[in-house]
Amino acid sequence: MAPAARMPLSRVQQYTLLALLTLTALPHLLNVEIRVSLLFLLLAGYRFVAVGRGRLLPGKLILFLITMGALGNVLLLYPILFGKDAGVALLVSMLALKLMEMRVKRDVHILVFIGYFMLITQFLYREDTWLVVYALMMVIALTATLIESNRIHPSAHPLGALKVSLWMLAQSLPLMIMLFIFFPRFSSPLWNLVEQKHSAVTGVTGNISPGSISRLSRSSAVAFRVDFTQQIPPPSQRYWRGPVFSSSDGKNWEADEADELPAGVIKGLNPPIIYSVTLEPTPGRWLYALELPVEIPADAQLRSDYQLLRNTPIRRRIRYDVSSVTDYQTGTLSEEVRTKSLLLPPGISPRMLDLVDSWQQRNGSDSDVVLRALDYFREQPFFYTLYPPPLGESPADQFLFETRRGFCEHYATSFTLLMRIAGIPARMVGGYQGGQVNPLGNYLIVRQSDAHAWSEVWLQGRGWQRVDPTVAVAPERIEQAIDPTLINDVIGAPVLFNLEEGTLYSVLKKLRWGVDALNASWHRWVLGYSKERQLYLMQLLHLGALHGQKLAFAMIAATGLSLLLLTLTLLYRVRSKPDPVYSTYLDFCRRVQRFRGVVRMAHEGPLDFAERVTSKFPELHASVAAITGLYIAIRYGRQDSKSNRRRLKRMIRSFHG
Amino acid sequence: MENAIDRLIREASRIILGKEHTVRLAIACLLARGHLLVEDLPGVGKTTLAHLLAQLLGLHYQRIQFTSDLLPADIIGNSVYDREEGSFSFHPGPVFSQLVLADEINRATPKAQSALLEAMEEQQVTVDGTSYPLPTPFFVIATQNPAHQIGTFPLPESQLDRFLMRLQLGYPDARSERLLLAGEDRRELLRQVEPCLDLQQLQALQAQVNKVHVADAILDYCQELLSFSRSSPRFNHGLSPRAGLALLRSAKAWALLSGRFQLIPEDVQAVLPATVGHRLHSSSDTGTDEGAALARFLLESVAIT
Repeated sequence: MAPAARMPLSRVQQYTLLALLTLTALPHLLNVEIRVSLLFLLLAGYRFVAVGRGRLLPGKLILFLITMGALGNVLLLYPILFGKDAGVALLVSMLALKLMEMRVKRDVHILVFIGYFMLITQFLYREDTWLVVYALMMVIALTATLIESNRIHPSAHPLGALKVSLWMLAQSLPLMIMLFIFFPRFSSPLWNLVEQKHSAVTGVTGNISPGSISRLSRSSAVAFRVDFTQQIPPPSQRYWRGPVFSSSDGKNWEADEADELPAGVIKGLNPPIIYSVTLEPTPGRWLYALELPVEIPADAQLRSDYQLLRNTPIRRRIRYDVSSVTDYQTGTLSEEVRTKSLLLPPGISPRMLDLVDSWQQRNGSDSDVVLRALDYFREQPFFYTLYPPPLGESPADQFLFETRRGFCEHYATSFTLLMRIAGIPARMVGGYQGGQVNPLGNYLIVRQSDAHAWSEVWLQGRGWQRVDPTVAVAPERIEQAIDPTLINDVIGAPVLFNLEEGTLYSVLKKLRWGVDALNASWHRWVLGYSKERQLYLMQLLHLGALHGQKLAFAMIAATGLSLLLLTLTLLYRVRSKPDPVYSTYLDFCRRVQRFRGVVRMAHEGPLDFAERVTSKFPELHASVAAITGLYIAIRYGRQDSKSNRRRLKRMIRSFHG
Repeated sequence: MENAIDRLIREASRIILGKEHTVRLAIACLLARGHLLVEDLPGVGKTTLAHLLAQLLGLHYQRIQFTSDLLPADIIGNSVYDREEGSFSFHPGPVFSQLVLADEINRATPKAQSALLEAMEEQQVTVDGTSYPLPTPFFVIATQNPAHQIGTFPLPESQLDRFLMRLQLGYPDARSERLLLAGEDRRELLRQVEPCLDLQQLQALQAQVNKVHVADAILDYCQELLSFSRSSPRFNHGLSPRAGLALLRSAKAWALLSGRFQLIPEDVQAVLPATVGHRLHSSSDTGTDEGAALARFLLESVAIT
């Protein structure tokens, strides 16, 4: 019979392995260059045909040539073999080549382990929930294949190995959780590889022009999710501050990122709201926070215009903790900022000057002027629409007096300009407004469709105050979010808010909430488990002294200790407690060994042993026979009693060879 | 009663020289109401042993010489038309006796073999729709030549399983052989042998076998042996529960033969090679005499606790 490792594979085994490994490589086929994917599919397909036709498998020379070809292919695509793409391309190619060598049982082991490695590398590209579920399923199936291949006879039930595999995975869960919790975290990811391409990232940018936010509003992509420690504030207070736009050329507004002056003191008028934000990759460095943030993450700065900027770009999903006060008072205005906030861009028309003049002629404070401006928006026939008509050279003038149809950025820009004409320091703020509460997860989802722009004016005695002219036109915008899936694609169509909810719609909506809740928990509890959170947890567990290297050693020690305990319990279970009479007898055997050097073999019965001892040492006959006889009577006969046990013990204790 | 047993063994050892252990096993097998298979080369005394046992136990016995042209009817008998009675009457075959000596059982065709083995299993014979019970006690002592001899039909595993024990006699040692060569003719001696037991005594002994005390520790040991045979990769397949029962039953008879009314591990060890040797198969085919080697391996692998 051939050695087990050289046993040829059955057809079923070959088909199973081929299918499993192709499924394992499948997500990667989308990651690597198309030529590598094609090579894999080609070779896997050929191997599929060759099942049961062994002569179709290439010989050593041809295999060598194909290997060189595949290597050349990877080298041409990635001239310097460096980075995850090159590595993964090489891995995929090599897996395809190994499939061609799949002949005997030994190859199953190699292929399954390549499969495991393949699954790990997929997390270099994405960390999505579905991929985790997929990878888990593949791990179970691959392990089942490994188990099945190690059996001498195929298991009776086809799902038997799968059950064992599932059970093994379940058993490894505690260890996995322990390693997850205690494995030292790095402030940056271990492989700084999961980065999305910049082009794919959407969100509010540092440049706003008419139409830029309405474009965002058509996207239902998640911008960020927020967990509140206490009650979620009402929609009218949910202004998520992002870039602040102070300078304009009349058409475009630019956010100022260069000015590194720190923020002045913010006087909170109500207790701060504490929450944490899981931010998806965004184009800029802005961390979104409720107006105005007072406690900020360590790796971010709050600028003088209350922009919260992270030190490094946000290329991957991050999570940060912030606290904000929604009712606040900012301090005095520096001359520099005042000048910047009053600067008028070109393209101010006489009509605009006249309009502001008419508000100022009636005596009143700056805040009266603000109110009159808002009244103007409310009373004149302004419309709120996602599809505003295009605007020409002086957009503010055209919007205010001619088209009067616009989205939030139109209202915010023109309002800001009007305020500056009136001599009130004003600027524009971009960000998000509102967000939906997920009833299944009790957290807030803010989508790109919630992108918003509003104004901010500086009033004597109150500091910077938020003014949202959109509320004057379409108050329901603030109360209820836009559902981008329902936007009518007709140009200029008014936005519909209160919708009839059909059954199917509500079911779909619930499903979407559910999936999002799952994703959010995944991000929050697994991906969001950062160095800071680990430290916090360690402090909660009174293990604050453990960090970095110490934590690593502690983890190794803890794992080693638990494995040792497990081994000991297993050993203990295998050698279940010996019979007390037997241990007494063992004491006798040890005495014989000590005094006379005769060792009882494990499979030797008491009579045989006694005979062997007395044949060597006839003078011991009486004592050995008495002890053995009593032992047999107690253990194998019907004379087990306390007194007999004691007698046996006594006899053995007085046995001195 | 013990005297009868001692005499039985002493008498047997007088005829079969230097094989006391094997003879004791054979007697134990009969006391445990089991059928016995004796396997060895021609001329080592298989038939003599069978004859001897029949005579010592005072049983009515018949011998069937198995040949390749033996028919089932030659074993179990057949219906013959009686002209005077005007009907068929059953003429019982040699199987209707208390002890049947089936000589060279593996020389007959499987059809003839199975006729005997069915009788062994059912304790009755059915001819033309009528069942005829076999006498009690009913023992079969079968002898067979090793499988590699020419002209044999080896018994399948399922039929081997019907024999409680399989014994091998082997060559006698030098001293015994000297005595054998120098001594009287064995056939002459056999004729002189007097029965040591009558039927009542035999049945009383058989009843006593069942009463031998089996402690939990012994059951543990037997289970360890069985489970080891099932989990060790050395064996192609493990021992069946029937093998376990056979082991225990033979060990009890062995204990009784040794004058004990309680089972000790040595009893199990003594009968194990004979009771499980023909039921064990190595996973790697190493050839002849594997049963004994496997039994030894099994015994040495399982500790007595």
